[in-house]
Amino acid sequence: MGKDKKAKGIWVFIEQFEHAALDISWELLGKSRELADKAGEKLIALVMGDNVEHIAQEAVHRGADEVFLVEDELLEHYKCENYTYAAYKVIKKNKPNQLIMGATPNGRDIAGRLAVKLKTGLTADVVSLDTTKDGIMLGQVPGFGGSVLAVIKCEVARPQMATVRPGIFEAIPIDKKRKGKIHKIDADLDKKYETTKLIKLQKVEGVDISKAKRLVAGGRGLGGDVSALKELAELLDADIGVTRPLCDDGLFPRDHQVGSTGVTVKPEITINFGISGAAHYTAGINKSNTIISINNDPNAIIFEYSDYEVIGDVNKIMPLLIEKLKAKLMKEVKQ
Amino acid sequence: MSENYPKLDLNIFVTIKQVPKAMKTGADGLMDRSGKSMMNPHCTHALEEALSLRDRVGGQITVVSMGPPNAQKSLNEALRKGADRAYLLSDRKLAGSDTWATAEALATLIKFILKENNETLDVLYGGLQTVDGDTAQVPAQIASRLKMSQVTYVESVKVLDDKHLEVRRIIEGGYQRLKVPYPTTLSVTETANVPRGPSLTASMSAVDKEVIIYNIDQIGLPEKYAGLAGSPTVVSRVKNVVIDRGPVQLFNEGDTAKLVSDMLTAVNTKEENN
Repeated sequence: MGKDKKAKGIWVFIEQFEHAALDISWELLGKSRELADKAGEKLIALVMGDNVEHIAQEAVHRGADEVFLVEDELLEHYKCENYTYAAYKVIKKNKPNQLIMGATPNGRDIAGRLAVKLKTGLTADVVSLDTTKDGIMLGQVPGFGGSVLAVIKCEVARPQMATVRPGIFEAIPIDKKRKGKIHKIDADLDKKYETTKLIKLQKVEGVDISKAKRLVAGGRGLGGDVSALKELAELLDADIGVTRPLCDDGLFPRDHQVGSTGVTVKPEITINFGISGAAHYTAGINKSNTIISINNDPNAIIFEYSDYEVIGDVNKIMPLLIEKLKAKLMKEVKQ
Repeated sequence: MSENYPKLDLNIFVTIKQVPKAMKTGADGLMDRSGKSMMNPHCTHALEEALSLRDRVGGQITVVSMGPPNAQKSLNEALRKGADRAYLLSDRKLAGSDTWATAEALATLIKFILKENNETLDVLYGGLQTVDGDTAQVPAQIASRLKMSQVTYVESVKVLDDKHLEVRRIIEGGYQRLKVPYPTTLSVTETANVPRGPSLTASMSAVDKEVIIYNIDQIGLPEKYAGLAGSPTVVSRVKNVVIDRGPVQLFNEGDTAKLVSDMLTAVNTKEENN
């Protein structure tokens, strides 16, 4: 798709799972409302699924000017071929200027596929998003392990596409007085062309540390014993974040991994235990309000990203911290 | 060959990228690739899936990469682990490729190899993402370019019959188990397997194998689709990440008990102020 003066509107792909929109969808819609106003564009939500009209309605209540609603029983579960086919058709016909999706498994799956079919540019894994007044998308992506930010543009091809990391932007609260037009689109899918079949869907209750209010985080400095970290998390009513090596070693599932290949967090307070501060990691904690770091190496890079720097041995400090917090709790109970 | 797997003799391809071991910026503001390098960790898992599939049903594994001449190092490592053939697309005109141009180049290379050898492709494996780019887009973009089906975020692969695989893929909220016909492209997560090391037999036979290197003219990739010229996205500027935290408050005085109580006082004051 070459430069197309007719390309109009900022579109947001509303990803849903089991008839409920993912949080990332509303985060993207919230941010894109601001961008659409800046560029003088309409904000358009693309909702796909089966029996998801309530999501289209919610998209209007959360800021969309219009919704393209594509419903079909073949869209009940995400499958690359069906979703790409249906999305391609509606995009080709309606020519968005920008198309924004979540950097989730399904968002990334469809984004790459669509970008090639549409012969357009895709800025992947965006952590900060802006637009010029004449509608050129400016996506910032962390480069080189998070030590730099590159601002990426797609000057000619349309739509300008981006996938955005979850947990970065804020959703707009529901306002039921908001009005918007919902266009119902026929997906034009036929079961006989479907090659991939869903055998089974397994649901897993994971944790979402991107919304943590307090975070205790551990790295290699813990020496492989994470029991004190878990106990501190409980005492402080905090969520647990870890660096990538701890997930690689199987000490925690991936949804606890903080950083540019994990989750971006923005808690009130983050306490780092035994984390040296690789750019991959610090890229994920930068938005914390207050950062306290404990490390026995006075030259650890993590201190550059911290408000409080505690130079000491985590294996001595953590047990004592646990003891003090327990004593404090006991005192509160007695009072 | 174990259990009752059919002998399928699959034609398996794996895309591989060589990445710097330490991510740092050079004086020119671009990634410093002069230091030690390694096979991208996710690619090692993709290669392991390919080797494991060949162990079960037989076939041939071809590894392909794009990069500077020293990327041969990672391809040789793949040969020592048991890959049968290795190809490197290396050309200065590929510099500055975004994900679209990277996929275009690798898809053109794969098509060229298939045509030269009068073959068809059964399974293309790629790593979920690279540690220097993190985009996780290239496998899907190659698949789209080759008009093949794709499953990304794959954690396990079973052989169902002579026409289908069963794959388990990670999604937000759980897993999908999908029945997928050949040919297909699978992007593999780090949790899929534990990659094997080089084997003695594979290393011995790797001695006779050479990485075949092509430039873009040799595979028929037009210059206008290569590198910066073929990339729809451009880097408009690069900025260093600015650390905008105020001066740090340092606790390094006294014994552990004093450190802990100073720290707790600081946390409590901070939380009360917020």
